[in-house]
Amino acid sequence: MYIATNAKFFESHQIPFLRDRLLALEDDKFIMIQSANLKDPSTALIISIFGGSYGIDRFYIGDTGLGVAKLLTLGGCGIWTIVDWFTIQGNTKKKNIENVQKFLV
Amino acid sequence: MQDQVREQDDREKAANAYVMSLVALMAGLPLPIVNLLATFIFFMSNRKSSYFVRWHCTQALLSQFFVFILNTISFQWTFRILFGDLEFSNEYFGYLCVVIIVNVAEIIGTLISAVKVRKGIESNWWLFSPLTNLLVRKES
Repeated sequence: MYIATNAKFFESHQIPFLRDRLLALEDDKFIMIQSANLKDPSTALIISIFGGSYGIDRFYIGDTGLGVAKLLTLGGCGIWTIVDWFTIQGNTKKKNIENVQKFLV
Repeated sequence: MQDQVREQDDREKAANAYVMSLVALMAGLPLPIVNLLATFIFFMSNRKSSYFVRWHCTQALLSQFFVFILNTISFQWTFRILFGDLEFSNEYFGYLCVVIIVNVAEIIGTLISAVKVRKGIESNWWLFSPLTNLLVRKES
């Protein structure tokens, strides 16, 4: 059920691994996983398109340091902004799996 | 099964390398450095990805570097004609034609590669793919 509702938050090749780990998980940890703060990759992409020059997309996914750097350089003079349009979804999914893995250990 | 799914993700990332270079080219006109920098940043962000993704990022980067050198020379030449001591000449127009042809060929090649790589078909460019083979190592 968790996988069905949250599949879009992870890379597709991570789903089988996540499923195996969730099946072996204790009930009390499962509640913690459900409360994990997952970010929507589509939302991150929309934020990146409209607010990428100010680093808002990086702040959204939790990369505060890179967000500040992006803000100060005005999105790396626009170049970093363009690159992030294509990488932000992958970065968001990477952050999501890192957040969930904290509870899987 | 998991390998097939991973392959799908890799294809998308590799195709993005080509698409991104095109978007950066359009956004960065007339400055020739923008698309090269964008492709380099994309390459750096994918340096720990799979061999397939790194290979295509490197091929895109090498092709952009080649076009960057040609474009920079034409940019400087034009700049010197407009604001400096040079005048329009047959050599200039000849070189400009070559640069335009190379740029159009590069854009078409990039588009074809993006589509082919997304479908999982290998896309090896003349001159750049042997160079890429030399530069990219199998292990990450």
